[in-house]
Amino acid sequence: MENVKLFSYQQMLVNKKNQVLRLICLLLILLIVVFVLSMNSGFIRLSPWEVTKTFLGFGNHKQELILYAFRLPRILIAILIGAGLSVSGAIIQGVSRNPLADPGILGINAGAGLAVVTFILFFKDTATQSIFLLPLVALLGGLIAAILIYTLARKSGAVSTVRMILVGIGIGMLFKALILLLEMKMEYHQYVNAAIWLAGSIWGSNWQFVLVLLPWILILLPYAFSKASILNIINLGEQNATGLGVEIEREKFLLSGMAVALASACVSISGGIAFVGLISPHLARLLVGPRHEYLLPVAAVLGAMLLLIADLFARQLLSPNEIPIGIVVAVIGAPYFLYLLAKSTG
Amino acid sequence: MSIIKTKDLDIGYNEKTIVKGLNIEILKGKITALIGGNGSGKSTILKALARILKPQHGAVYLNGESILQQSTKAVAKKLAILPQSPTAPEGLTVAELVSYGRFPHQKRFGTLAARDYQMIEWAINVTGMSEFASRTLNSLSGGQRQKAWIAMALAQGTDTILLDEPTTFLDMAHQFEVLNLLKKLNSEQRQTIVMVVHDLNHATRFADHMIAIKDGRVMKEGKAIDVTTPDILKEVFGICADVIIDSKTDTPLVIPYGTIGDSSKDHLQLLKESVVG
Ligand SMILES: Nc1ncnc2c1ncn2[C@@H]1O[C@H](COP(=O)(O)OP(=O)(O)O)[C@@H](O)[C@H]1O
Ligand SMILES: [Mg+2]
Repeated sequence: MENVKLFSYQQMLVNKKNQVLRLICLLLILLIVVFVLSMNSGFIRLSPWEVTKTFLGFGNHKQELILYAFRLPRILIAILIGAGLSVSGAIIQGVSRNPLADPGILGINAGAGLAVVTFILFFKDTATQSIFLLPLVALLGGLIAAILIYTLARKSGAVSTVRMILVGIGIGMLFKALILLLEMKMEYHQYVNAAIWLAGSIWGSNWQFVLVLLPWILILLPYAFSKASILNIINLGEQNATGLGVEIEREKFLLSGMAVALASACVSISGGIAFVGLISPHLARLLVGPRHEYLLPVAAVLGAMLLLIADLFARQLLSPNEIPIGIVVAVIGAPYFLYLLAKSTG
Repeated sequence: MSIIKTKDLDIGYNEKTIVKGLNIEILKGKITALIGGNGSGKSTILKALARILKPQHGAVYLNGESILQQSTKAVAKKLAILPQSPTAPEGLTVAELVSYGRFPHQKRFGTLAARDYQMIEWAINVTGMSEFASRTLNSLSGGQRQKAWIAMALAQGTDTILLDEPTTFLDMAHQFEVLNLLKKLNSEQRQTIVMVVHDLNHATRFADHMIAIKDGRVMKEGKAIDVTTPDILKEVFGICADVIIDSKTDTPLVIPYGTIGDSSKDHLQLLKESVVG
């Protein structure tokens, strides 16, 4: 009898999973390399050997201080923010089916930023003690921005790709203007700090920042990963999603809220870093395709790496002065955004 | 026996009502074709049957139960819909798309069980897509892509499938391939099929039951022979047509020759005149 070879999906899935796992391992190794590079670069240089020695507990006091008090928290912040903003961007792109979406471009970061600046200005005495409140304050601003975008971009049902982006950019500009107005009321040193923070910077990161951000990332990233299969279905469009049994309004609401919360928590620590949420999901899609089980984790690792590398440049380029990391990212991100915009059809 | 039934259904978009007082029944295990001109409300009706559009008034019953009283996931296990010109994200492979059809049956986190693999592989094989299974959708021709979407609906494992213009934009060979596939599923798996089709001769040939829609209302329903009469075609489509019985398939064959207002005469009439004359 003729042996007809039928297709095995199980086999195909196993192959794909192995391929993605290998990729993630490779990326993690790269991340560690950048991590070590990052550890020994800065105003005071430490060799990889000194870094390793200090980590193993054989460093001198000065080396320990540099690594544990300054470099490590800063690197961890870069990793957390890179991962958080990337997953946020990937979710927004998935839910809106808009490949150009990013919390920075859409003005969600600016909304969160406005809320934080307002809070700092009006509660300046308590702001430093209530740093754990900052992500919540930012979330409020981020949500207001998201609701505005949704309401304004939605015109008789469908939200078009470019329309959504334009509305988002407009809202971002409005919020940035409001931030500027508030800054006028600030004293000089406050103003300088606010301006640096808003440009997206992670210098002066300390362990407290890590502790503020960590719970948000630890809760929201796994939650996002658990929604991967729903994101896949939403990606087929509203009609198919309903046909396949997704409660589309409810899921979109939950997912958007999650994306805004992730972005806002990041913004409350690092200020507005745009384009990470755009670039890393795109690269991830090129590497592993559109399924969110693979896309989300790969985007998270890529985002972490992207910010770590950007942070290296931010410290090295004009050393001993630093450039805000948000500006370094924008130098790569903005042209990439324009390229995608030129390619987009809708 | 009917599997889907609507009761006094009003359907529309933002306050505007497109379909009013719709009462139709879809027969279990049969192929039903919805026909009608562009904008007559065929897609609107199909979307309401599949709970994609919430009716402004009235109800849709699936196996006697109102579809809006059940969870959308529970409905998805009994009823699949293939919307008009669906789009998939770039880079998605055929097998991945088909696997999404198992979504309503999965527990959390989207892990697949043995039954899911079986259904996915069956759907891919029965649609003849096995050699394209690992290709991305955007690298396929329109006909292959349409079959991939049908495979996704099949993997859903439902008794009833609704399809909105599954053959539009396909060449003739692919149109027949899709329709034959649906016919096969209907006769071998006893699937109930409701489809919107533009080609009247495909409708008469493949459907057991036809529903003719105009301006959101049912003008006529029944067997092909009762629905495709010159008078009804004139009323529903505004065309003048002859209807003959195709001896090969024993189904009515519609031969349109003009729109109303055309001064051209009925060509059988012309034929007769020339013979007599
Ligand atoms: N999303 C929508 N919003 C508003 N009106 C719509 C929408 N979709 C369809 N319509 C209107 O409903 C009517 C019926 O459309 P439809 O059901 O798509 O027709 P058909 O499928 O028979 O070509 C048309 O007049 C169309 O303009
Ligand atoms: Mg239609």
